[in-house]
Amino acid sequence: MSETKDIRIITRPTKEQIRQAQIDFAPRCTAAGRVNDKETQKMVQYILNFARKHSLFLLAYGTGCGAIEIPATLTSRYDAERLGIRGAATPRQADVLMITGYLSTKTLKRVIRVYEQMQDPKYVVAFGSCTINGGMYFDSYNTIKALDRYIPVDVYIAGCMPRPEAVLKGFAKLQELIQNGNAGNGECYRKNLDWYRANQQKVIKNWDFPDEYNW
Amino acid sequence: MMTTQDIIRALNETFELKAEVLRGNQIRVSMHKKQVAPVLLYLKNQWGFIHLDHVSCVDWIEENVFELVYIVYRPQDQLTVLVKTKIHREHPEMENMEGFWPHMRTYQREIREMFGIEFPGFEAPREFILEGWEEIPPMRRDFDTRGYVKRTYTTRPGREDAWSVREYITRRTGEKLPDFARKYSRD
Amino acid sequence: MIMKTTSERNKQTTLFIGPQHPGITGNMMVKLLVEGDTVVRAETHIGYLHRAFEKLIEQRNWLQSFTLLCRFCVPEPDPMELTYARAVEAIEGREVPPRAKYIRTIVAELARIQSFLLWYGGQAGSAGLYTLGQWTVGDRNYILDLFEDLTGARIYHMYIWPGGVRRDLPKGWADKTRRVLDYLEKRLDDYNRLLFDNAVFQKRAQGVGIIPKDKALEWGVTGPPLKGTGIGNDVRKDEPYCAYGELDFDIPVYEGGDVWARALVRRDEIKQSIRIIRQALDKMPGGSYYNRIPNPMKWRLPAGEAWVKTESVRGEIGFYVVSDGTEKPRRVHLRGAAYTHGISVLEKILPGQNIADVSFILNSLGACPPEMER
Repeated sequence: MSETKDIRIITRPTKEQIRQAQIDFAPRCTAAGRVNDKETQKMVQYILNFARKHSLFLLAYGTGCGAIEIPATLTSRYDAERLGIRGAATPRQADVLMITGYLSTKTLKRVIRVYEQMQDPKYVVAFGSCTINGGMYFDSYNTIKALDRYIPVDVYIAGCMPRPEAVLKGFAKLQELIQNGNAGNGECYRKNLDWYRANQQKVIKNWDFPDEYNW
Repeated sequence: MMTTQDIIRALNETFELKAEVLRGNQIRVSMHKKQVAPVLLYLKNQWGFIHLDHVSCVDWIEENVFELVYIVYRPQDQLTVLVKTKIHREHPEMENMEGFWPHMRTYQREIREMFGIEFPGFEAPREFILEGWEEIPPMRRDFDTRGYVKRTYTTRPGREDAWSVREYITRRTGEKLPDFARKYSRD
Repeated sequence: MIMKTTSERNKQTTLFIGPQHPGITGNMMVKLLVEGDTVVRAETHIGYLHRAFEKLIEQRNWLQSFTLLCRFCVPEPDPMELTYARAVEAIEGREVPPRAKYIRTIVAELARIQSFLLWYGGQAGSAGLYTLGQWTVGDRNYILDLFEDLTGARIYHMYIWPGGVRRDLPKGWADKTRRVLDYLEKRLDDYNRLLFDNAVFQKRAQGVGIIPKDKALEWGVTGPPLKGTGIGNDVRKDEPYCAYGELDFDIPVYEGGDVWARALVRRDEIKQSIRIIRQALDKMPGGSYYNRIPNPMKWRLPAGEAWVKTESVRGEIGFYVVSDGTEKPRRVHLRGAAYTHGISVLEKILPGQNIADVSFILNSLGACPPEMER
């Protein structure tokens, strides 16, 4: 099928172009940027991280489709409670914000507010392929396409939607990042607030947040 | 025990319409937009079509009309009537039937937001599903959703090789599409 | 000296049972005007989950749109696929082989059971009884295992498509299903003892959130809330589709119109669903499971329209599908069951209730926001 081969050569970008585009796109706050050796970490920090990783409180907020696998993860068969994970009712009491799937712009505004209300150290876990690159709603006018432009993300869990085992593996990865001191981007968010605000205001049309960051 | 023929005869005689059987127990009837409210009230009060199933709108941009469809249901004999009407696409207006059924309000809010059809006398908050929307009503056929996505959202690089479906089909099979489909195709 | 009258002392405040709330089903907001502990007025705000499905479907062809449709209603995706497939078959006039009809019936009823098990958790949880949710959601995993053997995925199956079903029943699936149904039937007694014999639930549920019987049909109430008011309309009996015409089952109807009656209706519907699945497995005909559609890239339907209804878990869902003769749909419009329950019915029955009962009533009406705003 020589015709099919022509289509592939003409429309697909080269590997260098993709790599350059990914470098240009890179979000500000990721886990990869910081390195914290376990040996040079202070003992107190080690104990604190150990305690934090074994008691993660999830905020009760089902933002999208993926919220349907959360009850299954928290109950008897897959039992996330043995890892210390349980639900919390308000943002002030929660550690982990789970973005379970796509975000419409209306929900994004509430999610930003909720994220800013959470206390440090706070972690964000993003479920599903919709947070990575838009997923199956890639041409929808109401959903966002890449989540880490708007809030910093610690762990991505791929799938549509992720199985409970995949969710538990994602939480294990989050625990590993917490132990090594690489998770928790609240400080980085506040430092790069201008960049995040510019992206958020481009997408959210009825912006009514106070000008100074005061959470 | 009522049948579709009874309803067809009643509608044709009372309102001078041309009702016909769509499929099974379903009747379809088209009319001018001024006749819709009397016909719905007549069906609801005298023939027992008390259940409003659905209100929908289709954008026929080639003929420059919106087509509104009101679907009512009679539970006793399982009869359905689809009341259809066409209204002009520039300055579209339709009668406000909020008092007939309580959920007609929800349907009218959604149609007003998604298609831009005005209901004079209808008072309800303008924003229903979308927030801060500044473009044309999004369900209209001339709203380009992919162009809007390119302008507003940043995508992660790596999806550039998602091809257009229509282009792929036409290149692979060599078939011609009808003219109107190609003219208003969005990709 | 100016004395304040009592009406000025009882001020009314606005309360947001907002998108981030442990008691809300899904992602919607109910804005209440409260006076003390009583609700004076309620307003539903939706739009937090709007994905513009109908616009997306207009850009995909007939077969690609069926992958989007499962996500309309997240807890029970199968009735959506079923209704869309029936609508497309009605427009084209395509026949479905009898084996596919029976398999579709079994899949729809299994989806009903697993959704009701999830509902148990939400309803009991909003009353403060958390044990039942742990049991039922744990047992629901057995049904999701069956789905995984049959279709490959736990939640979004994409199994029922126009023309039949995608693949045949695997070997041994029927025996596995029978074992799961036997286990579930024994567990139903345990759920009864935990929920319906519980004095707390009885006192909270009886007389709360009443839908009047004479107005129910006019308000557009369907499904378990309608059967809880004493009217027994069910699409499976009135306009039988798939294999329901050949199977033997009852429709549970209870008087009262309150949360208690609706909970009893759902409990009995689980029993009837188990009965339907057992009969369908015994009577399963042989033959092909799929009436093959032509090349999906070239598949064009004749111009026409169809309005098709099925009995989903929450009520009646309907698809209004319009075809203009090309390979892409002109309009696919879903009428979700929760479209009337969650917005106009809720705003009518909430005034006069306590704040603590708002989440309780929302769970019993079965409001599912993704269905409401698509």
